[in-house]
Amino acid sequence: MNDKLKQLYKTVILKHNNQPFHYEKKETATHQLEAYNPLCGDRFKLFVEVEDEVIQSIHFHGFGCAISKASTSVLAKNLEGKTLAQAKILCEEFGQVVSPDSTAENEKEEFAAFAAAKDFPGRLTCATLSWEALNSFLAEND
Amino acid sequence: MFGTKSFRQQFPIFQHHPNLVYLDSAATTQKPKMVIDGITNFYQKENANIHRGIYDLAAQTTQKYESVRQKVAEFIGAKHQSEIVYTSGTTASINLVAHSFLLPRLEQGDEVLVSAMEHHANLIPWQMACKQKGAHLRVIPIDQAGNIDLAAYKKMLSAKVKMVAVVHISNTLATINPIEAMIEMAHQKGIPILIDGAQSTAHSPIDVASLDCDFFTFSGHKIFGPTGIGVLYGKATHLAAMSPYQFGGDMIRTVTYQDATYAPAPQKFEAGTTNIAGVIGLGHAIDFLQQFDKKAIALFVKELGAYAREKLLSLNDLTIIGNAQHKTGIVSFVLNNVHPHDVATFLGTANIAIRAGHHCTQPLMDFYEIPATSRASFSIYNNRAEIDFLVDEIKGIQSFFAV
Repeated sequence: MNDKLKQLYKTVILKHNNQPFHYEKKETATHQLEAYNPLCGDRFKLFVEVEDEVIQSIHFHGFGCAISKASTSVLAKNLEGKTLAQAKILCEEFGQVVSPDSTAENEKEEFAAFAAAKDFPGRLTCATLSWEALNSFLAEND
Repeated sequence: MFGTKSFRQQFPIFQHHPNLVYLDSAATTQKPKMVIDGITNFYQKENANIHRGIYDLAAQTTQKYESVRQKVAEFIGAKHQSEIVYTSGTTASINLVAHSFLLPRLEQGDEVLVSAMEHHANLIPWQMACKQKGAHLRVIPIDQAGNIDLAAYKKMLSAKVKMVAVVHISNTLATINPIEAMIEMAHQKGIPILIDGAQSTAHSPIDVASLDCDFFTFSGHKIFGPTGIGVLYGKATHLAAMSPYQFGGDMIRTVTYQDATYAPAPQKFEAGTTNIAGVIGLGHAIDFLQQFDKKAIALFVKELGAYAREKLLSLNDLTIIGNAQHKTGIVSFVLNNVHPHDVATFLGTANIAIRAGHHCTQPLMDFYEIPATSRASFSIYNNRAEIDFLVDEIKGIQSFFAV
């Protein structure tokens, strides 16, 4: 088994895949977003609670591979308590980490782990699925 | 001889990727050297546009292009080469039939039957036709194992049904459907039937005349030929009655500014410059296949499938999706705790090419209440050692994810 792949999965992904953060349907949330990749069928619902321009909480539910599930879990964990403006910056930051053109290193271990996804181009969309859904939500609410 | 090292040498991809374990032939087959050389040779030495060309090259290319039509007719047992329409592939063939054959005869309240295991290509064109005319698309049920419910099918064949479209071999479940019986049952009620042969044409003997199906479709790239070329077989009477699907050059008889009359079938369905090199390549692919006994190919692939099933079933926490009575060399499976995409990525790093996803059969995934499967599919260049390697690697993935 490939070492790079083991590294990608071992550090952060398996942990979040097995114990995802806020993995439940929270139907009362102020916003519900869909993160869906029609090509592979991964589909998560994001329950985003926003109050006074601040993300109070993000819950999620659905199905997808370990990478998309872990990346959504990392999103939920890292964006809680952030203002919409801060959330936007974090979305960009995450995008930088997985961008094949970027060599930017990120201090957050939970972000940095996904950099290894760059070696598996077929899986990049798994890493970015929920982040892109959140990003377009933030753009709409700008 | 299939699957041996010397046999694999006919496929240049394995020289460029000596460690490649290619288990994705249901998606597309690898290409033998004679097909690749045939296409290269055509472009290097023979290239010209077909029909109307007076000079030698054009005349020779036209002759080759049309002789492949005869070759295809013989390959699938059509009575006459004019029953062979070149298309871009199975999807285009089915769209043509839905548009030019079914739509004009479909009325509000009519019904079209498809099976529960159809590829989107043999589902959505009929869905669109039904929506357009206010007709109903009805789904022939299958059991949990993936067998068509023939008793239910028989009951569904009412006077309202204007068309039946069924896949010969399921790309997801491996089921070989009883198309002989299904064609006969449809015809007893005077209903035309299309058979989607995308998965069957490479590995099963096909004889459309004795099958008596109204339409049969397949793609070149799944039978060792190039992409972008496919075939629609249609009974001569049907093709004659159908209007063209696309309009332009090469499909006409006479043209004025205000009006046009069309060439007879099959030319009226081949507007514009078609995929000539694709046709040439398809001809070479058929030549390649004709070297072997089709029954021997079918048996070889089926036995590889059976071997893979046996080995995979020895693993814990693994379920095989698709356990019909008659199956070919395709195995869909799910692991309890590992998503199919993760399985495919890990296998990919071991040079094992499998497919993971819904395999363009989303409603079927819903039926089994799963989002996706991993699928290994076999062809004549595969062997048991590759399956042993696959199973060992899956074991490794299971233990990695179990931590």
